[in-house]
Amino acid sequence: MASSYLSMGEAHRRVTDFLNRFSDAVSSQDAKSLCLIFSISSNPSFLLSLSDALITFQDASRVIRQADRYSQYADILLPLFRALQSYRLTNLVESYQAFEKAANAFTQEFRNWESAWALEALYVIAYETRILAERADRELSSNGKTPEKLKGAGSFLMKVFGVLAGKGSKRVGALYVTCQLFKIYFKLGTVHLCKSVTRSIETARIFDFEEFPLRDKVTYMYYTGRLEVYNENFSAADHKLSYALNHCNPWKERNIRMILKYLIPVKLSIGILPKTSLLEKYNLTEYNNIVLAFRRGDLRLLRHALQEHEDQFLRSGVYLVLEKLELQVYQRLLKKIYIIQKQKDQNKAHQIKLDLIVRALKWLEIDMDVDEVECIMSILIYKNLVKGYFAHKSKVVVLSKQDPFPRLTGKVIN
Amino acid sequence: EEREKRERLRDLAVFERLYGNPRQSSPNLAVKKFCRTISVKTLQDSDVRPLSVLEDTLNYLCNLLDSTEHSFEVVHDFIFDRMRSIRQDLSMQNISCSRVVSMYERMVKFHIISQHKLRRCSGSNISSLSYLNMEQLMKALATLYNLYEANRTSESIFENEAEFFSFYVLLHLDSKTQGTGETLSLWFRHVPSHIMKSIEMYFARKILRYFKLGFYKNFIHTTESEASYLQYCIIEPSINEVRALAISCVNYGGYKPQPFPLLALSKLLMMKECDVESFCNDSGLQTSVDEEGNNFLPTKQTTLIHPKGGLHKYYPLESERFERNCEFYMMTYVECLTYGEGVLLVDFKSDLLRTRYGSIMWNYDLRK
Repeated sequence: MASSYLSMGEAHRRVTDFLNRFSDAVSSQDAKSLCLIFSISSNPSFLLSLSDALITFQDASRVIRQADRYSQYADILLPLFRALQSYRLTNLVESYQAFEKAANAFTQEFRNWESAWALEALYVIAYETRILAERADRELSSNGKTPEKLKGAGSFLMKVFGVLAGKGSKRVGALYVTCQLFKIYFKLGTVHLCKSVTRSIETARIFDFEEFPLRDKVTYMYYTGRLEVYNENFSAADHKLSYALNHCNPWKERNIRMILKYLIPVKLSIGILPKTSLLEKYNLTEYNNIVLAFRRGDLRLLRHALQEHEDQFLRSGVYLVLEKLELQVYQRLLKKIYIIQKQKDQNKAHQIKLDLIVRALKWLEIDMDVDEVECIMSILIYKNLVKGYFAHKSKVVVLSKQDPFPRLTGKVIN
Repeated sequence: EEREKRERLRDLAVFERLYGNPRQSSPNLAVKKFCRTISVKTLQDSDVRPLSVLEDTLNYLCNLLDSTEHSFEVVHDFIFDRMRSIRQDLSMQNISCSRVVSMYERMVKFHIISQHKLRRCSGSNISSLSYLNMEQLMKALATLYNLYEANRTSESIFENEAEFFSFYVLLHLDSKTQGTGETLSLWFRHVPSHIMKSIEMYFARKILRYFKLGFYKNFIHTTESEASYLQYCIIEPSINEVRALAISCVNYGGYKPQPFPLLALSKLLMMKECDVESFCNDSGLQTSVDEEGNNFLPTKQTTLIHPKGGLHKYYPLESERFERNCEFYMMTYVECLTYGEGVLLVDFKSDLLRTRYGSIMWNYDLRK
């Protein structure tokens, strides 16, 4: 990681070049240039060469104070230089700390500027804050210390959110910052903190959801959709994740896959199955057997599929949703039995002996007694998955002659 | 110092009174009270108790748990407050070693058993005591999980860790009573893998599945056959809910010309037959009798109501396993609370226990 040899003169030149670039960008309201200036983590070559210069030069503060056009931004520039230097030397914790100071100072300046010209640059700042904090935390963990920088980044971005949450053209930026916050909270597992942000976005009168950029709306719906999945509000989850899917850029296959990963379990719980081709296209093969089990009414396959991918499903948080599909698989199994009986004797088909169901389950390697089967039948009837009744004395379940297996689409089982 | 102040103010709990005198206590009896507001500036070293003193205090408190002199509410109230004070002293000193793990395990056990016993008390303040007890249970449990994490090394194994994790699942069966806790889906994400694969967690997850799917027979019978005493204490309030669901299902889907026999219901729901009848009546349903005197539940009744919360009287689980062992569970748990030994999950060898307790009593009698 040794920087190549630089002469002092060259180093000085690079520093002043950068300072000019910065002040030109601000005075001409050139957001694009500012974006590049703050993009530390993407390692653009001009920043790398600047970092080398800073390490060689060691006295950047003097240069900054030399001219008014730089010194007024000293609060931003000095910590930014420190951040660049530390980053180059892979002191990620120090880099983050310095960057947060620079970001804070920039946000204050941003607040004072009348128009929202620098919004794109603020986006970069928000993004970099998160990324640098993540890297800092990784460094802390690997040194056996408690990682707390990402948490701090969350607090800082809440402040940035506050700056944007006002009347005026700056407010369209609030959703981008919100999405950065979501990513932080999801990573940290402090998902309950999302509530306060979503409340601001959804209830504050200054925000009109339609005004936000589409890209941010898709991301927002994706994360809030996931929250609805965790809270088992399936119709809300369906609405939000479907929105995200429908408005997502069709070329962004990775994003589509992420949305589908959560949408598929939700759709399954309202009885809508994805096509195999969809699963193949987006490499969601962990759902193959589940969908198959669903189609066939094969309980054994469902349980096997859940077990096989248990770790994966637990990590993404959809395991409990998938477990609940068991009821619908029972419904389909019963339907299969009914169809088979119908082929033998049309008139008696709607009467199914509980013993027969016990035997069918045994064939699927599931051990249940008659009482347990009766319990399941009564629940299926109670939840309107099956129309009919059960007779305890005769040990039989009698299906309604009309539409005994109502379609679920649209209604959520609860 | 605190003791003198409280003696003056007559702020002594029943257990702290010397010979019942509300104005006098002694160093042995007085236990430090929980203080809501503590100013760190005026705090002195002598105000905070060191770990070994706290451990002795905890032992003393646990011994009081089976005291029969006073009603359980009074016992609970005292222990509740003084344990909270212990936790306060622990957190002020930032102690988090494995001895603290053991202390927290015992305190969580106290809260669980309290919740169970409070349900059997009557009184106007029981519901608020219950609520506060549940609040502290959750807090102590959360701290315990952090302590496990902090003390996790490659060699250390906490014997009871899996069971304590299973409590979280059982405490969150009903997603509506989440409060500010994490939903289970999120919580599972950061449970260590070896805990997820433990017997205790598999049991809890099975119970969760039965609850969510509404499989009332499996829920009740699996609880009866596999739950440990503490797990049962936590599951208890859900049992009534599940029974109510069962009655609703039978009433809704049962064939009208074939009323459902109460005997069958009683086996299904693990209740005495007369209790089933009362339960049906509580739910607004009538029962019928045939010529031979057998009782039935006619189905398709339209008067079914869903009494909210505590309106449904709780009928204990008709279980040989629990009946046989209930007293011994209680006594052994108090012993475990007192001496901090590991809690047994499987059935006790009740004959051995009877012999042991019998000989202890005989010995005590001799020494008297």
